[in-house]
Amino acid sequence: MRWRLLGAAVSLWFGLAGMASSGAASVATNSDKPLSERVVAYSIDARLDARHKSLDATETLIYRNLTGQPQDTFPFHLYLNAFQPKSTFMREERRDRDSFEWEEKYRASAEVKSLLVHGMGDLTSQIRFISPDDGNPDDRTVFQVKLPKPVKQGDSVEFKITFHDQFGEVFARTGYKRDFIMGAQWFPKVCVWWQGAWNCHQFHNTTEFFADFGTFDVRLTVPQNEVVGASGVELAAQNNPNGTKTIAYRGEDIHDFAWTAEPEFRVFTDTFQGSMGPVTMRLLMQPGHVKQADRHMTILRQSLDHFDRWYGPYPYKQITLVDPPHGALRAGGMEYPTLFTAGTAWWMAKGLHFVEIVSEHEFGHQYWYGMVATNEFEDAWLDEGINSYTECKILDDILGKNTSAFELWSMHESDDAQQRNGYRDSADLDPMARFAYQYMNRSSYGDITYGKTATVLLTLEKVIGVQTLQRSLRTYFMRYRFTHPTKEDFLKTIEEVSGQNLRWFFDQAVYGTAILDYDIAKASSDRLDWFEKPRAPKKKGQTLYRTTVIVHRKGDFIFPVDVLMKFDDGENLRQHWDGHDRWTRYTYDKKAKLVSVEIDPDTAISLDRNYFNNSYVVQGDASASQNLTHYWAVAVQFLSQLAAWLT
Amino acid sequence: MINHSSILAEGARRVWRRQRIVWWIFAVNLILAFASAMTLVHAIGDVTDHSLAARRLVSGFDWGMYSELLTTPDVNFESHIPGSGSAVLVFFIFMLFMTGGILASYGNEYALSTREFFANCGAFFWRSVRLSFFMAIALTPIVIGGRALLQQAGKAINDAAGEKTGYWFALLAILLTLFLMMAVRLWFDISQVRAVVEDESAMARSCLQAFKVTFSNFGSLFWIYFRISLLAWLALAVGLWLWIRLSGGFAIVMLEVVLLCWVGTRMWQRASEVAWYQSRLIIPHSAPERVLSPALEPLPAPLAAESLPPDE
Repeated sequence: MRWRLLGAAVSLWFGLAGMASSGAASVATNSDKPLSERVVAYSIDARLDARHKSLDATETLIYRNLTGQPQDTFPFHLYLNAFQPKSTFMREERRDRDSFEWEEKYRASAEVKSLLVHGMGDLTSQIRFISPDDGNPDDRTVFQVKLPKPVKQGDSVEFKITFHDQFGEVFARTGYKRDFIMGAQWFPKVCVWWQGAWNCHQFHNTTEFFADFGTFDVRLTVPQNEVVGASGVELAAQNNPNGTKTIAYRGEDIHDFAWTAEPEFRVFTDTFQGSMGPVTMRLLMQPGHVKQADRHMTILRQSLDHFDRWYGPYPYKQITLVDPPHGALRAGGMEYPTLFTAGTAWWMAKGLHFVEIVSEHEFGHQYWYGMVATNEFEDAWLDEGINSYTECKILDDILGKNTSAFELWSMHESDDAQQRNGYRDSADLDPMARFAYQYMNRSSYGDITYGKTATVLLTLEKVIGVQTLQRSLRTYFMRYRFTHPTKEDFLKTIEEVSGQNLRWFFDQAVYGTAILDYDIAKASSDRLDWFEKPRAPKKKGQTLYRTTVIVHRKGDFIFPVDVLMKFDDGENLRQHWDGHDRWTRYTYDKKAKLVSVEIDPDTAISLDRNYFNNSYVVQGDASASQNLTHYWAVAVQFLSQLAAWLT
Repeated sequence: MINHSSILAEGARRVWRRQRIVWWIFAVNLILAFASAMTLVHAIGDVTDHSLAARRLVSGFDWGMYSELLTTPDVNFESHIPGSGSAVLVFFIFMLFMTGGILASYGNEYALSTREFFANCGAFFWRSVRLSFFMAIALTPIVIGGRALLQQAGKAINDAAGEKTGYWFALLAILLTLFLMMAVRLWFDISQVRAVVEDESAMARSCLQAFKVTFSNFGSLFWIYFRISLLAWLALAVGLWLWIRLSGGFAIVMLEVVLLCWVGTRMWQRASEVAWYQSRLIIPHSAPERVLSPALEPLPAPLAAESLPPDE
């Protein structure tokens, strides 16, 4: 009876797996035809040793040569080798963080045991590690293999690779923490032929990933007590006599495959009805965070809904949200196709929108990275930055414009302000259009790639309009999904949809480091009869004044601005200045005095580095300075009393 | 058995009767802090007084705008830290100087004249300095140990199997460190009281004697000290709770009330310690006599009549 059952299970197993790999029907997407070019087809059989946090696997990769020329050299990523002390990744970590000390528990490795090429034999001995970015001989994150004969354009080549992974404790994105394992960047991944060359960067401290679309058939064998989540959809699962179970997954039109396993995961599922069909939302929560499952499910549903309506459909049948355990937050906040990691803690108050920000952001990457698969090594702003902008827009809509970052104890902050303050910290250090690993440091990378890009796009709304920018993003998504667009593809799409030449803006904002800062250099009303002695007494509405306002462009960034002047007779004058000169002067002779002058009265130019100098109110109000000084003084009083406790 | 409530009540009575001390300390604290912030008000005022954006700093607490102001080079908050640090230091020295006078005031049934008060301040200043130095030595291992415990707690927050384990550990580490610091503070409070009450000039000896007295009566003394501390922390919590709900001038006044409470409760601790110390001395009751020397009177009759601590 037992053997019969096992036999039936095996039949079902191979039936499902065979159906999936034949490509006859789409099992992982809600599309009846392939959505991408499917350059690669990975089939991986992996067995996890949960006790030793290691994995042995056999990978079969069928690569279709669509490069337009014969290829005899193939480079591969081995990302796990970055977690070694002499790697470029760790060098850069130490460079940017003096306090960082290497610990052996972080050590991880991916070792290719053998590499065979169908029809060409065993090429294991041909493997050579290369360091195209910095020449670091100790970096083993990229290897290449030269074939004895080239693969013709249009032909396919089949690699069979056996490899062994040793995971380290989570340092960044991948690894283990206690019983939790995040299997990311875990298999040898072929690089991308892009713009006429192999694009294969080493794994850097600030870089993420770039790969070709294709299919993934992955069979994971893990202990039976493990709860597993993975990219794609689950096809079948069977228990093995040795206490393990094997789960088969299929991913289509994706460019990476990640999985996670932990016995303690609590699973929650729900369905979202998208415009291309139903999407299963699967949450893997920590036991201590079960009370927050609703919160995660709600923001995931709202994100799916907003993206579907605003930018385009989510075509996959499943999305998995992983909640990493405490101490593994470095594995959190990370995106993989159809799976992402969020992050929370037991004490996370409802008013702290960290859960919403991280979940929305990482889901957003399903679009900006997952489907619009830009080169994260070279143009990180195209995924992180655009995603930060859409995060602002969606969270503003869901959580309120002024409270999207947090709302707690009468304090609040918007997500836009958080992005803007990030940008302000590093505004002139690096241009957005810079390779991710070439930024001055990690902080500048984050501030510019995320903060500045979001702020630039928020400012662009002022130029072309909110709706036009939304339409541009939708066009960009629909046009370039399942491809590898460049920054110019993105910028040209905006120009095309808006019907405007925006080079003046992009050259400064995207390719440059100029600061945008305008201020009021002078604002005063002087009596026209100033020279008369004695002067007639002032009479409101009768005395003539000459009002002079000088608007100054402090920064080098040229941007047209509106200037609003208010007079004490209730009149408001709005002027437009192209900002080309360093300053401009407005002069009015009126029977009214100036009350205030304000640059950018709609507060639409988020790129302006200093909002405080954008206006001048003639009648000053010291409330703010007094308040702040009081708070400062109270803090000093408090500290004084604490110090006096020692007397 | 000693009646703690009576000691607390006696301490409160003495603070109330010598409330000028509290007001003066509070005033000096306030003036020093505001004087140190004067340069800041100009620096912030230059940026905010004529700016429409500054309105967002007044209505509600927009953290984004505060962050923007904090990082505006025109204000440069960091440049104001040394000035305010000096205010903290001056207040520290001021309180060190005042200790002798404060304890003498709380130890005497009659009100000291200004001259008497400052004579006591001067007479005990260097003794207070020496005691502070000894206390710093006693506190050092506690601070180092507390820091080490907190580091371990930080590791436990990441590594322990239970998510809350590390937080509990951190809380325990903080409570233990605070408890030990309070115990040392209590010991040196009694050293200071002893130095003033008994006009002790050998501070090392005073420390040793106070150590014996404090830790042989630790339960009762700590209970007195702790209850008043609890009240101070409660005042802070309630004050902050109200502060969040108030705005403008009311919010500022609320914070000042909290700080006044802190001065008051600390003086209450001091007065209660003096009362406690006097209650354990067997001194024949005699009529109060005005003195200029830093000697103190015995406790008034009703309190002195109460029983001694059990271990005496």
